[in-house]
Amino acid sequence: MKSIKMSMNFKRYLQFVVKYNTVLIFLIMLLVSAIVSDVFFTSSNLFNLIRQVTPVGIISMGMLLVILTGGIDLSVGSVVAMSGVLCALFTQTMPLPLAITAALASGLLVGSLSGYLVSIHKMAPFIATLALMSIVRGIGFIASKGAPILVAEEASALTDFGSGNTMGIPNPALILFLVFAITSVILRYNVFGRIVIAIGSNEEAVRLSGIKVSVFKFCVYAITGSLSAVAGIITTARTAVGSPVMGVGMELDVIATVVIGGASLSGGKGSAINTLLGVLILGMIGNIMNLLIIPSYLQQIIKGLIIIAAVLLQRFQTKNN
Amino acid sequence: MENRVELRNISKSFGGIAALENVTLKVKPGEIHALMGENGAGKSTLMKILSGAYTKDAGQIFIDGREIFIRNTYDSKKLGIGIIYQEFSLVPELSVAENVLLNQLNITGIWMKWGQMKKKTEEIFQSIGFSINPSVKACTLSVAEQQIVEIAKALSERVKVLILDEPSAVLGPQEIQKLFDTLKKLKNEGVGIIYISHHLNEIFQIADRITVLKDGSSSESLLISETDRNSIIKLMLGRSLDTMFPVNHSIIGEEVLRVVDIVPENQSKGISLTLRVGEIVGIAGLVGSGRSETVRAIFGADRQKKGQIFLSGKELHFRSPRRAVMEGIGMVPEDRKQHGVILSLSVKHNISLTDYKGISNPFGFLHLKKEHKNSTGLIERLQIKMENENQEVGKLSGGNQQKVVLAKWLNRECKVLIIDEPTRGVDVGAKVEIYNLINELSHKGVAILVVSSETSELMGICDRILVMRKGQIQGELSKKEFSEEIILRLSIGENKNLTELVC
Repeated sequence: MKSIKMSMNFKRYLQFVVKYNTVLIFLIMLLVSAIVSDVFFTSSNLFNLIRQVTPVGIISMGMLLVILTGGIDLSVGSVVAMSGVLCALFTQTMPLPLAITAALASGLLVGSLSGYLVSIHKMAPFIATLALMSIVRGIGFIASKGAPILVAEEASALTDFGSGNTMGIPNPALILFLVFAITSVILRYNVFGRIVIAIGSNEEAVRLSGIKVSVFKFCVYAITGSLSAVAGIITTARTAVGSPVMGVGMELDVIATVVIGGASLSGGKGSAINTLLGVLILGMIGNIMNLLIIPSYLQQIIKGLIIIAAVLLQRFQTKNN
Repeated sequence: MENRVELRNISKSFGGIAALENVTLKVKPGEIHALMGENGAGKSTLMKILSGAYTKDAGQIFIDGREIFIRNTYDSKKLGIGIIYQEFSLVPELSVAENVLLNQLNITGIWMKWGQMKKKTEEIFQSIGFSINPSVKACTLSVAEQQIVEIAKALSERVKVLILDEPSAVLGPQEIQKLFDTLKKLKNEGVGIIYISHHLNEIFQIADRITVLKDGSSSESLLISETDRNSIIKLMLGRSLDTMFPVNHSIIGEEVLRVVDIVPENQSKGISLTLRVGEIVGIAGLVGSGRSETVRAIFGADRQKKGQIFLSGKELHFRSPRRAVMEGIGMVPEDRKQHGVILSLSVKHNISLTDYKGISNPFGFLHLKKEHKNSTGLIERLQIKMENENQEVGKLSGGNQQKVVLAKWLNRECKVLIIDEPTRGVDVGAKVEIYNLINELSHKGVAILVVSSETSELMGICDRILVMRKGQIQGELSKKEFSEEIILRLSIGENKNLTELVC
């Protein structure tokens, strides 16, 4: 009897660790970062970190929605490039607000196209977005004629915003926080969020309950495309340049953050706060290794190992439940 | 004579709640031993302990008088215990032969010898009296055929003990007879068979003895020849059941649904039927007669090739279930787990699926309190038993899961409710509650279309019964004309010889 009680307590302890594993990994990383480098907790470094993770963070909210429905979007990195290029390009010929709107619209359009292929033509999301990844990257190169485009002098408001702070917080981070807050609220308290999660759990049962599943599937891709454009515009604002090689490989980082945040790639499981923690965790890995001047190839390896560890911990969770 | 298998004083708890307490089950060689009990009584748990899926907390297990220890499913198989679960474990994309010989694929060396595998599979099928093409993919088979493959799979290795968990749930009368023939053969070979079922008719036909589980405890085992239905039901429920079916004084009104020449997706001929306010119409027929396809076409779940649907006189076209639901039609699907509920979500969330408008504001933000009140009301009304309202539906028993599906549709004011197999895999207690609910709904004016493979069920609750065969309605019976024999004859085609039937 005593041994059963002891093992039950141990099990409960283990369950706690597993349930909050993302938070725990995050706290451990903070601790490690603080110990390993005395520069980590300086405001300039932290602000740098937040600025670095903002584009990935913004897109990850959209990617979370897509993954919740059981899909995936590989085109996000290419949309970042295309929208950044278009934004910079349009500042040369249009007033800034119009340039930004046009760049946003381009992302929305690409996302809508992915959404259309997945929801109406029932194409596998992997294939549809893989194809768009290629096409959109090409569009970015054509529009920029292969070379980076400087943001026009008249549009300095953009670059000021990109590198500036409001009340001490970097502007892009405010946008990240806004996107995160909206996503979190929608997933918890809005019908849209509920249905997205339900679709990822059992699409057919949702359809047979009288819900038009295709509409929701379409929307999550359109949203992700738009958020990728936001990320592209912010990156352009920060660097004052729209480059066709922005965001190469970014889709994998975004997906990694969602997975570290505990979402299941088969859909139906995941939360905004955990995804945000995943973003910060991934960001911290890069940040710490930069501070320690660890060469970037080693960073890749360590990144990969942490992703494996996080996913294994989550497997434990579903098994124990 | 030693018992083939004996489970003695078995206890098992999950998280502090006792699922089994000192349960004893003894099966002699060559005996078919029925195991009955309400859902949640512990039957599946007990069998999973025997099959190695769970480990017991206390008690002993003996095979042929020798105590054995089962740590996992591999141990169990090695000891000669075979089990056929209610939920299929076939690999959909592999062929039938590969599925049947799944645990023995290495016997032919590292390269799979197709010829050998096909032959062996065919032999197994022959020995049980069925014939299924071993080369086709398992996912292309009908539910009944999949069940037969499951049986073949369990028989592909020599078994001493065979456990069948609700095997007849998806089989038609012919197939059940063949199953019984196979079981009798196994009996003669000395196999101890444990047969779990809710169907008293079958048990009285095939079993030698019966043990009843109630709330985790086992009864004495009774000889079938020395007991009767009522005694068994009393053991299961702790009370006797005089009438299963509620007395139905139906008040039938005007026509509410008229279906004209609907041709479901994979069929070629059209079907027509009408339904009136407050009427309960049953659709009988063998597995594969096209009943589910027809009602799915009416609901818009599948594309219909042509045909018209009139709801209260208004012509409608359903290209998806959404329109049907908006207009007041609901459907409880045949496959509850895949199509009826979302197993990983809570009872509350499942119920809300059909009517978000009622519990949210125009921007889509949910009134969580309203949702809670709404779902609590329905849970009470249907007496859905669960630990707490946030429990995953996947953890509920079959009967309670079915109630969740019904609650989902009660959440809307449906004009027409289609129920495909209302009590499949549902225990006796919940069955009665569901029949009462159907009756109550019809009194409120809901028109109900019930598809069922249990003729007695249809005769007990319907006002009219349509009998389908090969995609067509063969006949229609009014309440006075109800007879199991006539329904069976119509299902199989009156003039055809019983043995001439296609499997």
